Amino acid sequence: MVAAEQKEIVPITVLTGYLGAGKTTLLNRILTHEHGKKVAVIVNEFGEVGIDNQLVVDADEEIFEMNNGCICCTVRGDLIRIIGNLMRRRDKFDHLVIETTGLADPAPVIQTFFVDEDMQSQTALDAVVTVVDAKHIWQHWEADEAQEQIAFADVILLNKTDLVEPEELDELERRIRSMNVMAKIYRTQDAQVEMNAILGVNAFDLNRALTIDPEFLNETAHEHDETVYSIALVEKGELDLEKLNIWISDLLRNQGPDIFRMKGILNIAGDDSRYVFQGVHMLFSGINDRPWKPGEERKNELVFIGRNLDEASLRESFRACLL
Amino acid sequence: MAAVKQTRLELFWQETLGDYVTAVDWSANGQLLAATSAVGELIVWSASSRQPVLQFQAESQQSMDGLAFSADGQFVAAGGQSGTVYIWQMQPAQGTFQPVAALEYPRVWIDRLQWHPQQNELAFSLGRYAQVWDAITQDVVTTLHFEHSSVLDLDWHPKGTYLAVGGQGGVKAWSRDDWDAEPEVRELAAASVAITWSADGQYLASGNLDRTLIVWEWSNPYPWQMQGFPGKVRQLAWSDLTTKSGAPLLTSISGEAIVLWEKAEDEQLGWTAKVLDLHQDVVQAIGFQPNSLLFASASTDGKLGLWQNAKAVQILEDAPKGSCLRWHPQGKMLAMGGQNGELVVWTTATPGQGFGR
Repeated sequence: MVAAEQKEIVPITVLTGYLGAGKTTLLNRILTHEHGKKVAVIVNEFGEVGIDNQLVVDADEEIFEMNNGCICCTVRGDLIRIIGNLMRRRDKFDHLVIETTGLADPAPVIQTFFVDEDMQSQTALDAVVTVVDAKHIWQHWEADEAQEQIAFADVILLNKTDLVEPEELDELERRIRSMNVMAKIYRTQDAQVEMNAILGVNAFDLNRALTIDPEFLNETAHEHDETVYSIALVEKGELDLEKLNIWISDLLRNQGPDIFRMKGILNIAGDDSRYVFQGVHMLFSGINDRPWKPGEERKNELVFIGRNLDEASLRESFRACLL
Repeated sequence: MAAVKQTRLELFWQETLGDYVTAVDWSANGQLLAATSAVGELIVWSASSRQPVLQFQAESQQSMDGLAFSADGQFVAAGGQSGTVYIWQMQPAQGTFQPVAALEYPRVWIDRLQWHPQQNELAFSLGRYAQVWDAITQDVVTTLHFEHSSVLDLDWHPKGTYLAVGGQGGVKAWSRDDWDAEPEVRELAAASVAITWSADGQYLASGNLDRTLIVWEWSNPYPWQMQGFPGKVRQLAWSDLTTKSGAPLLTSISGEAIVLWEKAEDEQLGWTAKVLDLHQDVVQAIGFQPNSLLFASASTDGKLGLWQNAKAVQILEDAPKGSCLRWHPQGKMLAMGGQNGELVVWTTATPGQGFGR
């Protein structure tokens, strides 16, 4: 029964990146590669997938406001319509990839899958994959879209590595890591990457443990040389649930628009299970995860990716929730 | 206790299509039944012989989503994922259909399509546009720019005077007398996903993505707003008959819930709501029997409900997982499409008929 219901859930991969970064190359790989998955693809109006396939569908990015113009409540209306139509043939595909235009803000795409009831019940966001043009990213570095596409990513392909020197690549990776400490970064040429690195990632699955790059935690002072950056909080001790709830709701209300992604594992007083959560802007979901193991250090780990976030005050206000 | 003659459904006929039945429609005289499917089929049957008179499958096998007979039954049109609108014409002498046009709009998923209620003019969604095409001249009459989003629904005014189009930001209604004139706009803060005129054209209702239902009296720009739905308001249906208030009944479906709306006789009270519980999964389709206050509901849980006076008068527990339904124009039959290709037709029987009192 459970298996039958799970079968109906279609995983969704969101593919972002600037025009020319290599999204189309990657899409063609996904469509031609023998990976045992039948993949349907929603391409944007500029997409030029060279493959004639009845599971390639066009969409025109249409942003719908769901609630008085709040940016956290914008969704992609075209996706609701097109995916709704496509899901009538859900037996014909078992994974869906959505290509966004180079100038797209990824947030409305992601939010669509949490806000719309049909998307919630029939699909599950698998991962946001961002393709970065290692040579030309420097020209777009200041653009909000470029930064947001990196900030929202679960997987980042540093593509066209053959066009840049190794030192330049290291510098780029360092900068990207400081913006998004959670993403998996792969260096690629012609978007050549193992399919299981981008399909079936389960990045939005709360049961998948949060992994923070230990190197990031070991750096004592983080220089935020980008406007978008990651903050990690790691604190021992038990949390007061009531204080925590007030803190989270305040944070989302006041800084939701500046928080692109967040994830965490928490140790709540009186609870023998880990509490895991994630968020996208003001959307927040959390569950009681597995019990803490005997001998396991019960600590709280949180990662925020955003802009205008004050690390010191965030840390201080979070510590105030500890018993 | 007075004997109430209660309509009941009796199984008449079943067919199977290749996949999810996306739409069903009857010709105006009720002699033909058509269905489309998600693998690009369009099949038209003679309802008396139950034999197909037209069998078409799009070469691409791409989904066919919009389906409609013209008002005079002469034409049938279907469109879908391939971006082609196919139009066939009945050849009365042979009792068959001949293709008359295939309007091609590559890369546009055409999922809304409706004939003018009297003329042979076909309106269909075309991305952010709605187009009207004349089957007699075989020419485009007009192309209307909705602007704010793709066209999410469209509905001709029952007198054919307006074409109303719903989408993000509300409803725009263009006058058929002057397609180039600015449309009448009924603004909403949300996306309108289902719009329906009442049979007399007095009311226009819009089911919205933000879990609201709006009803306008067409002569009055100030609408009634209904809230508290469990999800988006997917589909609406008006009864042909009116109640004591002079207004027809309205039903809405949202999530598992059916809500029946009746206008109060006291104008101040607006519309009263009755929530009808039966379905345990998303209700997909709803429709009033013509010239009646009886209506049917079909749901993903495989139940078909028949309702009168806010009560379930018949429940079919083992119907297919429903996708769409359509009453015979004289109310003699009900056709329902299923999510796995099922097409089921029931006849309506009234117990006691033929046996006197």
